[in-house]
Amino acid sequence: MGVGSVATRMLADFGAEVIKIENRTRLDTPRKLPIYKGEVRSYGDEDADPDPDKGGLFNNYCRNKLGVTIDMSAPEGRELAVELIRHSSVVTENFAPGVMERWGLTYDYLRTLVPEVVFARMSGYGHSGPHHQFRSYGPIIQAVSGLTFVSGLPGREPSGFGLSYMDNQAAYYNSAALLMAILHREVTGEGCEIDVSAVEAGVTLLGADLLDVTVNGQPTRRPGFPRGNRLEHPAAAPHGVYPAQGDDRWLAVAVFDDADWQRFVAAVGAPAWTADPRFATHADRVAHQDDLDAAVAGWSAGQDAHEAMAVLQAAGVAAAAVQNPQDLAERDPQIAARGTFFELDHPVIGPALFEGSPMQLSRTDADLWRSAPLLGEDNDHVFGTILGLDESRRAELAAKGVI
Amino acid sequence: MTGHSPAFASLRVVELADDPGGELAGKLLADLGADVVKIEPPAGVASRTAGPFADGHADDPDASLEFWTYNTSKRSVVLDDTAAGREVRDELIAGADVLLSTATPRQLAAAGLDLDALLAAHPALIVVSVTPFGLTGPWAEHRSSDLVGLAAGGLLNSCGYDDHAIPPIRPGGNQAYMLAASFAHCGLMLALIARQRSGHGQLVDVSMHESVAVSGELANPYWFYPKALVQRQTARHAQPVPTQPASFLCGDGRWVYFALILSDPRAWAATVAWMDDHGLAADLVEERYLELELRQREFGHVQELLEVFFLMQDSGTAYREGQRRGLPIGPMQAPEDLLEDEHLKAREFFMPVALPTDERRTALFPGSPYRFDAFAAAPTRPPRLGEHTAPVLAELAARRAVQHA
Repeated sequence: MGVGSVATRMLADFGAEVIKIENRTRLDTPRKLPIYKGEVRSYGDEDADPDPDKGGLFNNYCRNKLGVTIDMSAPEGRELAVELIRHSSVVTENFAPGVMERWGLTYDYLRTLVPEVVFARMSGYGHSGPHHQFRSYGPIIQAVSGLTFVSGLPGREPSGFGLSYMDNQAAYYNSAALLMAILHREVTGEGCEIDVSAVEAGVTLLGADLLDVTVNGQPTRRPGFPRGNRLEHPAAAPHGVYPAQGDDRWLAVAVFDDADWQRFVAAVGAPAWTADPRFATHADRVAHQDDLDAAVAGWSAGQDAHEAMAVLQAAGVAAAAVQNPQDLAERDPQIAARGTFFELDHPVIGPALFEGSPMQLSRTDADLWRSAPLLGEDNDHVFGTILGLDESRRAELAAKGVI
Repeated sequence: MTGHSPAFASLRVVELADDPGGELAGKLLADLGADVVKIEPPAGVASRTAGPFADGHADDPDASLEFWTYNTSKRSVVLDDTAAGREVRDELIAGADVLLSTATPRQLAAAGLDLDALLAAHPALIVVSVTPFGLTGPWAEHRSSDLVGLAAGGLLNSCGYDDHAIPPIRPGGNQAYMLAASFAHCGLMLALIARQRSGHGQLVDVSMHESVAVSGELANPYWFYPKALVQRQTARHAQPVPTQPASFLCGDGRWVYFALILSDPRAWAATVAWMDDHGLAADLVEERYLELELRQREFGHVQELLEVFFLMQDSGTAYREGQRRGLPIGPMQAPEDLLEDEHLKAREFFMPVALPTDERRTALFPGSPYRFDAFAAAPTRPPRLGEHTAPVLAELAARRAVQHA
């Protein structure tokens, strides 16, 4: 759902002509997820008969793309898809394994259409192995790859990730893989098939705890693991998320060494507790983290998170308010200065903010030319201008429900 | 086994990276076959002292697993921060396709590096800068860390427990840096493709803060559209309102993730049939539960029955049997469980890599996050501190000799 759309979004942002093929009768999930202007619903609380052009998540994922509809269950629909592939140089899919095969759209066949095609297959588990048919979405990938387990307080259930983190990360790895395959083709003239498993991408993101297992035989099922917000390698203290003024507002602070601590003490005005002998040296602070955390929380609870961040950063201490999306969009001067979020109008939704690119290239500009296509919005352009079907043929296909 | 792609094997990369974001970006290139020369100070980069360390090698800069994780397949060159050292550094950059840097503007100035001047002097050079906040803007010199990056970028606001007396909890694995590395890698690929066509290099300025800020999945759209703020919930999606727990403890003491979407009639039928096969569906088999409103009203009761159901089986069985029935369910595997995962084994995902501390020994490292039929990506041994100083200096001398011949 998210992976395939986000992976090609990066290419679309940077000028590729991305044609998204959709099914009118089985809507893409982000079209159905109830993220609507002026109407608060939870993910999972879908409208039974959703307006496919109203969904904010689809708008976010499919900007700068062309959108067409094809019924792939109809032979004429599959023929149209084949014609589109003939006019393309890259094919991407993230269906359940077996779906493309059922349509006959294998890599071997695609190469007969476009000899140097890049065929990118994005799935949860990859296209081989005993679990390749398993069903997954972000939280399942995070659980199976170990990412959930390494996240949480010791002695409790894992807290994991409050999002489909791996939808985004797997999408980014798929974007990178597509770009790598395209560069390989530019250099060698040769196409290729790509198999990205989100689970495997997740395992590569576990960090040094994984090597602690494979090199040292040190299991992570042990007392004191995971580490919550504490940092063990290297040891840092105070290192945590502390309460701030207001409802559920928090401040993250990371103090790595004695120099950091001196700056922290000066920034908070050197209250008496900072002179406590339990906190005298780095080793002392690490050894007395429970007491130290309580003392820091006692200070932070009276502070505005953003003001405290400004004070600590001015003193050279790594600290940040735990920002929410409203903070990012309305308060964060860095996001504003760098233009990270941008606005585009949409014919049904109206103007909306978008999450832009965190990469600024000095010679290659992003081309942010449209919000997401309405369902089938580009059928005439793509089937007419690109494939050369005349108006009566397009009308016939539309009447039959093929497009 | 296919070999490396000439598109990457021919690349010369100079890495001046001192955090996991820049280091992973370099590793991804090195694993593709690029010659990544990592320049380090005499004491080594920070990850060499971070730990954990390979057993029996405490505080050995060649034995830090944090370094090994993000620095496979590279070469290590130690240079002093002296005029002579900088001269060698600049000569290496002059011969490189890519300079990878994690320095902020102030750190660049202190190191005597002017990125604009480098790009002007070497028109085909691509500079990938991956910094906590980007090279411009009011926070460009702000200090960061993984925890601070996740907090400032908003992702942390979605992570933690249902109990909001507990602060947001940082996910493991340096994920703020991992996100920055993903964009650094993609940005570099975009720049390499552009250079292939134009011959021109350029600056790719990646901000970790923005990488995190655009990767919160539903959180920003929930603000951009309905103006709702999501609330963190244990191990499941942060949402505008609380949802049912999705973490279930199994009989073997391990957790599975299973989010039963009550509004999905197929998932409901499959779940009840599964529970009924174990004689644990109780009254859920009754026809009245086919009505969504009743399921929603009774979700506390449904939840209790599910808790009992999962406690009666082990997590591996629940995983395989649930998936066989078409239900998305997954065990919360610990890193050590992954080595026994039959699927990862069949795909030969983990790869033996020789250890810097003892080249006769290998340990399993995670393999490549992507697979291509036309070319390979795989990790090889991380370098010891300064292991390649002499050969790299000799290569420079040889290049100089050719230029003067």
